[in-house]
Amino acid sequence: MIKDLAVMIAGKAGDGVLFTGNVLAKLLKRHGWEIVTSRDFPSNIRGEATCYTVRASLDKIYGLGDQVNILLAFDCEAILAHLPEIAENGIVFCDGQGLINPTPEQTRGKTFHRFSLRALARERFGQEIFKNVMALGALTYVLGLDSSVSDGIISDMFLERKGEEVVRKNIDAARFGYEKAREITAETERHPLTKRADDDRILISGDEAIGLGALAAGCRYFAAYPICPASEIWQWLVHYLPDFGGAVVQTEDELAALNMTLGASFAGARAMTSTSGPGASLMMEAFSLAGMAEIPAVIAHVQRLGPATGMPTKSQQGDIMQWIFGSHGEFPRIVLAPGTVGECFDLTVGAFNLADKYQCPVIILTELDMGQNFRTTRTFDFLKVRIDRGKLLSPGELMGLSDFKRYEITADGTSPRSLPSWKNGVHLAESLEHNEKGYRDEDPLNRRRMMEKRMRKLDPAWPDLFPPRIWGCQKADVGFIASGSTLGAILEAMEQLRVKNIPSRFLQLRTLWPFPAAEVRQFLEECRDIFVVEHNFSGELATLIKSQVSPCVELKNILNYSTLPFTPKEIVEPVLRSRR
Amino acid sequence: MKEKESYHRLNPTWCKGCGLYGVFDALKRAAAALGLEPEDLVIVTGIGCHGRLNNYFHAYGFHGLHGRTMPVATGIKLVNPRLQVVAVSGDGDAYSIGLGHFIHALRKNVGLTYIIVDNRIYALTEGQASPTTDFGMVTLSTPLGSKDFPIDGPSLALAAGGTFIARGFSGEVAHLASLIERGMKHDGFALIDILSPCVTHNKVNSYDWYKKHIVHVEDLPGYSPRDKAKAWEVLSNPEKIAVGLIYEEDKPSFEELVLADREKPIASLDLKVDAPRLGKIADRFR
Repeated sequence: MIKDLAVMIAGKAGDGVLFTGNVLAKLLKRHGWEIVTSRDFPSNIRGEATCYTVRASLDKIYGLGDQVNILLAFDCEAILAHLPEIAENGIVFCDGQGLINPTPEQTRGKTFHRFSLRALARERFGQEIFKNVMALGALTYVLGLDSSVSDGIISDMFLERKGEEVVRKNIDAARFGYEKAREITAETERHPLTKRADDDRILISGDEAIGLGALAAGCRYFAAYPICPASEIWQWLVHYLPDFGGAVVQTEDELAALNMTLGASFAGARAMTSTSGPGASLMMEAFSLAGMAEIPAVIAHVQRLGPATGMPTKSQQGDIMQWIFGSHGEFPRIVLAPGTVGECFDLTVGAFNLADKYQCPVIILTELDMGQNFRTTRTFDFLKVRIDRGKLLSPGELMGLSDFKRYEITADGTSPRSLPSWKNGVHLAESLEHNEKGYRDEDPLNRRRMMEKRMRKLDPAWPDLFPPRIWGCQKADVGFIASGSTLGAILEAMEQLRVKNIPSRFLQLRTLWPFPAAEVRQFLEECRDIFVVEHNFSGELATLIKSQVSPCVELKNILNYSTLPFTPKEIVEPVLRSRR
Repeated sequence: MKEKESYHRLNPTWCKGCGLYGVFDALKRAAAALGLEPEDLVIVTGIGCHGRLNNYFHAYGFHGLHGRTMPVATGIKLVNPRLQVVAVSGDGDAYSIGLGHFIHALRKNVGLTYIIVDNRIYALTEGQASPTTDFGMVTLSTPLGSKDFPIDGPSLALAAGGTFIARGFSGEVAHLASLIERGMKHDGFALIDILSPCVTHNKVNSYDWYKKHIVHVEDLPGYSPRDKAKAWEVLSNPEKIAVGLIYEEDKPSFEELVLADREKPIASLDLKVDAPRLGKIADRFR
């Protein structure tokens, strides 16, 4: 019985790879399988190689795994590019007439079928575009899936937007693809999957989960500038925020996006922006303003490969230091890093409460791999969502105060807040150093007291922050430390090591700042070999750990700065090498 | 109508004779004429001598970063459109570092009153050339004379689709106050560009110099601020600087277009978690 399988759909940008992949992922999810998807695509709209992998497993998975069992390619170049990833007994379908000259070595144990999807689509339906849904039908046959489920998904996708005729034609095309695949595929070549109950689960991307978390947390103002791979947060929210009484605004640049978020927050909204790469650099200026004027703000940063414009459609973890130590001057900030789509939701809800409670900027730092790809998770429990606006007064409370001071020096460092239009609460949000009333003040003693007030705000925050999560064995010599979407590959690497009798454990950091030094120190004491796994060149997380835990044991970095996220193998191998 | 001194917090400490005194007084007069409560007025300022205004003016205020008044003010206005949101910038703030924001807030027609106090110099930093400094003028940063041709805010605004374009003179406070008041009443973006002498760092563009060079559009026979061609004509006159309400048109404001209901400000929404409704939204991911 097959318990785990990956299907890759490959072609050129514009071929419809995304459509086929998305529908296949949903189809497998509705058969009760756990799903992780991955898109490897260029930063252009048409013409360059792209591929979409859907991995399905009966066990909970968070990453993509090491191999591909079925490859459906809309052109021949894709085959040569992905041959090394094809598993034993893998099956390859190829449309097109190009040259494929794999060596016998490369093809051993794998089956190749020419599958003229384009020609068949043209001939039967008059349009090449039907090749995509035919491909879906073919995969439905090969994977032994239930056609009525795929009919339902097609209907969901097209009925409202395009009408019954389009639905019928697409379902016909899926059936046609199914039959054609039956004609060319031997029964023994199929990879039939069982069907399980599709219980209380959803298939969602990290960006969408952040959007849904923001909506649930009461975010009602969203301002951003288009940038890959963060735009999906906005493109999701734009369909819902107006119905909830909120607004989504496209700004002229990221300078405006964060400044506008701060204006909206100052006026009383739970406000958010999202960005990536160069956009984050532009936001550095207003980031500092949020710190100085103590304005709550949530910033979702979906990291992409840098520096400069880098590779906008590739994942990376190279912007950690930017948010922890970035911008001019010193001010408190909170940096959260979700490792699962469930955490994208939970940490976003938490981010809004933290921002209000500690009146500071909160960053949700994730990566393209998490943001744009889809994963199954238990559906979110909205009944658990709590909204805590911290020391935001009510108009009534404000009227009862004899002397309101917006930046009052308090024991915990956080001061009461009023909103414009509220009587008795008039104040100035000030980017200059200011006194308790908010007015500019260059007195050295005042400066010292205000600096101390701001910088102690996060001292009592520990119970509200997301503590690190420990995965794996209670006791093990091998310990991994990481944050973000490397989680999936690490968990599978741990399983592969366990099979080789090497137990390991994994400290997943979910709050990067304030740094959870006590938990990290304890973890370092409990393991002998520590591997910090990071999708960047210089080991930013390891550098951070060394700066915050002193003295620090030797940390071994497992780094990947390629265009693709880690595979489990890329983590297992360095661990094995280090033990030789 | 309110007493203008109800907005007076502190006596300003700008240089004696600075044009900003006139702007301060005109803004108080306009707010008083509209009977605004200080808590219903938000003044967003940038960086420059004008930025001190918040210290002297009793109202909610946001003194942010250099050049970023527009996005901050837009965020405030959209979250609570009942507020009277006035942004104040200098020529460096508005026409140099913040020029992009200015044009975009203007073309969105956000319901802001944007007061740009133009003294044709960077005064707070001791006198460097600004984007409105006269060509050839010797400044701290241009000892051989400025090699940049100055830009004209109202002309830019007209080209970018501005719906209320006015220019005042800080030497004529009553006239300026009436322009600001009309700008505040305008449903959309109101630009009030102000010719405002810097008595310390700009010895050329003085009160007397302006008095000799300005022309009031209301004095021009047959002038109508609804006539765009006329507006272009007065703005392109090389001899005279047009002041008054130069151009006005009706266009829906950004708030009207973007917000579901201007009477239900985002600022006062009940954020109660509607779990069944959110559950239905999450069901689309099943």
